[in-house]
Amino acid sequence: MTIHAVRTAAGATDLPATEWAAAQAAQLSLTPVPLEAQPNAYIKTAWADRAYGTVPEVRVAAACDDGQLHVQLEWEDPAAEEGEFPDAAAVFFPFDENAPAHTIGADGHPVTLWYWRSTASEAQVVEASGPGVFRPVAATGASSVGVAAALSGGRWSVAFTGPVSSLEPARKLGVVVWNGSNEERAGLGAVTAEWVPVELPD
Amino acid sequence: MTNVLRPEEGTRGQVAMVFDLNKCMGCQTCSVACKVLWTREEGEQHQWWMTVNTQPGSGTPKDWESMGGGVERGGNPLPGHQPSRAEFGGGWNFNYQEVFYGGKGSSVHLRPEETGDGTTKWGMNWDEDQGGGEWPNAYYFYLPRLCNHCTRPVCAEACPTGAMYKRREDGIVLRDEDVCMGSRFCMEACPYKKIYFNYARNVAQHCIFCFPRLERGVAPTCARQCPGRLAFVGMLEDQEGPIHRLVHEWGVALPLHGEYGTGPNIFYVPPLSPYRLHEDMTIDYETPRIPPSYLESLFGPNVHSALAILKREMDTVREGGTSEILDTLIVYKWQSLFGPFTVDPGELDGKAVPVALTTKPT
Repeated sequence: MTIHAVRTAAGATDLPATEWAAAQAAQLSLTPVPLEAQPNAYIKTAWADRAYGTVPEVRVAAACDDGQLHVQLEWEDPAAEEGEFPDAAAVFFPFDENAPAHTIGADGHPVTLWYWRSTASEAQVVEASGPGVFRPVAATGASSVGVAAALSGGRWSVAFTGPVSSLEPARKLGVVVWNGSNEERAGLGAVTAEWVPVELPD
Repeated sequence: MTNVLRPEEGTRGQVAMVFDLNKCMGCQTCSVACKVLWTREEGEQHQWWMTVNTQPGSGTPKDWESMGGGVERGGNPLPGHQPSRAEFGGGWNFNYQEVFYGGKGSSVHLRPEETGDGTTKWGMNWDEDQGGGEWPNAYYFYLPRLCNHCTRPVCAEACPTGAMYKRREDGIVLRDEDVCMGSRFCMEACPYKKIYFNYARNVAQHCIFCFPRLERGVAPTCARQCPGRLAFVGMLEDQEGPIHRLVHEWGVALPLHGEYGTGPNIFYVPPLSPYRLHEDMTIDYETPRIPPSYLESLFGPNVHSALAILKREMDTVREGGTSEILDTLIVYKWQSLFGPFTVDPGELDGKAVPVALTTKPT
């Protein structure tokens, strides 16, 4: 499965629905981030008998111009009600070839997350070295990431816009989705088990 | 995580407190002093890092003692419940406009504005003075609670981001709010449920033992503002200080729910109580009004010997003798409560005052 990014007008920050429709979307399967990879004994114990990573698939479309990459995620929200935890999602990119996707990076092999949660109006840039081993990164100017999100008919649509340079050098991405009503957060998400190649337009 | 001190590493010292429950009158001055100093910002309206609750009672948050967390005997962490916003309750807005300017006279009264999320159904001191027992043997006492700055901070162990850590120099458990991402495993893991969530800023928050004051030689505000002279502050290792003597030498100050397994560093002198009355109103000299079994459920089996020691010391004084334990608990000199932290904050000149944070540097 490859994501084919389409070219869009330079400087676009919020793609119209027609452009997303034109983008060649990929339907990606998601699996729970492995319990054994969770970062501490508390989380492993508390979630040993609880299901998490309950969003089974996500639709991903991408577009870019010379400077900006747009990534749209869409998924069915299994439970619309809000609890203590928000729905959330992230698209992430490796720094190096050895960074694992299924654990959202690893110690010594970090990845960059563009992270969104439903209770925040802005996206966060986060460095991850494993499931939930997240550290917010100060991102301003050209490195900042924007987000537009909407919940309609029980389906989330979340569109990130950030520097296309984040996709280099590997030209591949991963996705993680958290179902807030199931108290999913940190490393307890549903993730793409493998990196997904991204093909940029000529 | 790298920021968590492993037990074998230890700290150079451990700040600790002792609260003498025989002197606590439930005035909430400690709670308000803390509130005024630390939790007046956005998202902190419902936060009370220092609370005083009537015992027996459901406490803060409601029924916190049945929410799990802590450590099992084998050393493994136990799953816990994250207290909800409704279980903490509080943080209310009141209908001041309606009462004072609404032109409705005495037909309206002040009340929390209903928010629909259950937060007006409980609060930090909701069941004040209800206590236990039946007339004429009703009883209650007050229990001040703050973060225990545990020797084994399961909150920090549960944090996936490494935002939480136990300070090496004095054992204070802190959180880097710039790193915290609001996953709230700390709130689940803490068996004392003394961590709050700031929904506006998406970070967890808890008592910081007034570390900016300690670093300048000033005692935490809850202790310094206490009118009852019942809150001792100091380093647990200071063998000449009142905390070490009350806890380790004399055995009259005990941890709350030590069975939770986290090594709390806040200790309590358990409450003595009047004797029960028989139906004919004569005194039953064999039975204290606060059931010893209830006190044991809070402070462990050593509560019986602690109370026996206190009674013995009182008898000694009544018979004309002297008691170093009682002299310590009476606190003839206010400053003797504060160990090395006796600086008056009103006399600070804006510069840090160096203070020896430990008597046993390693």
